[in-house]
Amino acid sequence: MSMIEVSDLQKTFGKGDEAVHAVRGVDFQVDEGQIFGLLGANGAGKSTCVLMLATLLAPTGGSARVNGFDVLKQPNEVRQSFGAALQETGLDPLQKGVELLELHGRLYGYDKQTSKARAADLLETVGLSDDGGRRIGTYSGGMRRRLDLAAALIHHPRILFLDEPTTGLDPASRRAIWEEVSKLKSEGVTVLLTTQYLEEADQLADHVAIMADGVIAATGTPDDLKAGMGADVVDVELADEAEAARAAAAVGLEAKVVGNEIRISATDGPAVLARVMNQLRDAGIEPKGVSLTQPTLDDVFLNLTDGGSGHE
Amino acid sequence: MSDHTVAPTKPASQATQIRLLTVRMLLKVMREPAVTIPNLAISVFFLFTYNGAFGSSGVTSFPGVGGNYLNFILPVTVLFSSISGGAAGLTLVADLETGYFRRQLSMPLSRSAIVLAAILLGAIQVLVQATLILSLGLLMGADPAAGVGGALALLGFALLWGMGFAGYSVATGLKTGNAQAAQAATFIFFPLMFLAPVFLPMEQLAGWIQAIAKVNPTTYMLEAMRSVMIQGWVASSLIKGLVAGGIFASITLTAAVRVARSKTSRA
Repeated sequence: MSMIEVSDLQKTFGKGDEAVHAVRGVDFQVDEGQIFGLLGANGAGKSTCVLMLATLLAPTGGSARVNGFDVLKQPNEVRQSFGAALQETGLDPLQKGVELLELHGRLYGYDKQTSKARAADLLETVGLSDDGGRRIGTYSGGMRRRLDLAAALIHHPRILFLDEPTTGLDPASRRAIWEEVSKLKSEGVTVLLTTQYLEEADQLADHVAIMADGVIAATGTPDDLKAGMGADVVDVELADEAEAARAAAAVGLEAKVVGNEIRISATDGPAVLARVMNQLRDAGIEPKGVSLTQPTLDDVFLNLTDGGSGHE
Repeated sequence: MSDHTVAPTKPASQATQIRLLTVRMLLKVMREPAVTIPNLAISVFFLFTYNGAFGSSGVTSFPGVGGNYLNFILPVTVLFSSISGGAAGLTLVADLETGYFRRQLSMPLSRSAIVLAAILLGAIQVLVQATLILSLGLLMGADPAAGVGGALALLGFALLWGMGFAGYSVATGLKTGNAQAAQAATFIFFPLMFLAPVFLPMEQLAGWIQAIAKVNPTTYMLEAMRSVMIQGWVASSLIKGLVAGGIFASITLTAAVRVARSKTSRA
C-alpha cells in the first residue's frame, strides 16, 4: 500500500513576474515500510515538497495523499499520521526536553501516564535520558536534533518526514540518526528523507528521486541510478609495463594497458575482478595492487544537476 | 522500543489542548521573570509615588476625588498593571521566532486553541498582577465604597481592559512576527492612558485634553472603576465603563482573530 502518493504536485510562490516556481509537477509514491530519499542541492524544491506533505504549505497544483488522506481536504488526519523533523527544529529554549515530549504526547491523544512513559522511552532511545530535565536552551545542536527526532516519534507515527536530518551534525551524531532511521524502517515506519548527502541516501534509501530545479530529474533504487551511469572499472597494478602487457594478454581483449596497469571496464565489476585475479594467478602473474571503482550517487547527481549548481 | 503503546487515533479534545497549551505558556512566562516583573514593579512604583506626591496635597479636596486620593489613584495603577495582558502577543512572537509556532501548526491541533491559549495566558497575567496591586492598595488604606464586591468589580474591569491589550498584542505580534515591533506597538498605551483623567478629575483637565479624553475609552474605564471606589454602585458609570471596555476589547480581539486566521492558514 502507498503511504505517500504525490501526483503532479506544484508550488508557485508569488505572482506574475515575481513568481517563483519552486516545485513544478512532481510525482512519486512511497510504499509502506520504505525509505524514500529526496535528493537535491539547495533550492531544488525538496523542502517545499516536504512542507506541502506536512500541511504547512498549500500546493498550487496537483495533489498529495499521506496515509490515504488528502493534504488539502483532510489536514488534521494527515497531521495525526505523520511525525516530522524539519530543518529548523522549532524548539522552545525555555522548555525542558521531557516537558516537550510529555506535552506533545498528550496533545496527540495519549493520557498522562502513557505520555510520561513514551517520553521516558524516547529520551532513552535518542540518548537524552540524563538531559531531559534540562531546558532545551542548554542543548547542543546535536542534542536538539535528537530531541526533535524523539518529538517526531512521540505518537508512533506510521510516516516520518525527515528534512535534512543530519545537516551540520558531526559524524558520530549522523551515524546515530542513521541507525535510528534504519531501526524505524525495520518496525514498518515509512520514511521520506531529504538530504544533500549522497552517501546518506545511498546508505538508507530503498528508493531515490533526484530533484533539480523543481522537478524530479531521475528516480530509481540507488543501484539502478548508479548502473545508469555506466561501468565499474577494475584496475590492476603490475611490476612494469612488460608485465602489464603479459597480464593484458592473459586476461583477454577487454583489458587495456595503461602504463604499468591494466584497466577493464565492466557492468559487473566485482565478478570481473574475481575472474581477472584467477586468470592472472593461472598465468603466474603477481599483481602489485588491485582496485575496483564503482560509480557513486555523486556521479549521478553531478551529471543531472550541471555540477550541482542548484537554483536558489 | 520496549513499550507496547500504540498510536493514538485522535488528538486531545479542544478543551484539553487549550489547557495544556496555556500551562506551557504560563511555565514559559514564569521562567522569564525579567519580562513580567518590570510591569508589576512600575505599577507598584506608581501607586507609591502618585499617592506620595498628591495624597496629602490640595488635590484631595477636588470634587470627584472623594477625600482619599488612594481610592482615586488605585484604579489607574490597576489599569496600568493590566497591560500585562500584552504577554499574550509577546509569547506568541517568541514562539514565532523560535519556530515552535510552526511546529504546532504541523500537529493535529485546533488553530484557535493555539491563539486562545495565548489570550488566556494574558488574562491570567492580568488577574494575578491586578490582584497584587489591588491587595497592596487595600493594605495601604484604600477602602472601596462598594465594599468587597467593588474590589471584585475592579478586577473585572482590569480583566476586560487586559483582554483588550491581549487582543491588540496578539494582532500586532502575529502581524509583525517581531518582538521589537510588537513591543513598540504597546506604546499606544501611553496616549491612551495619559489623555484621560488619570491624576485629576475630568473637570480639572485642560480643554484640549478634555476633548480627547471624552472619546478615549480609558476615561470611561477609569470613571467606572473610580465609581466603585468612591461612590458605591453607580449604574450609569458601570455601564459606560463596560461599553467602552467592551468596544475596545471586541475591536482588538476581532483583529487578533483575523490576523491569527491568516497566520495559521497555509501559505
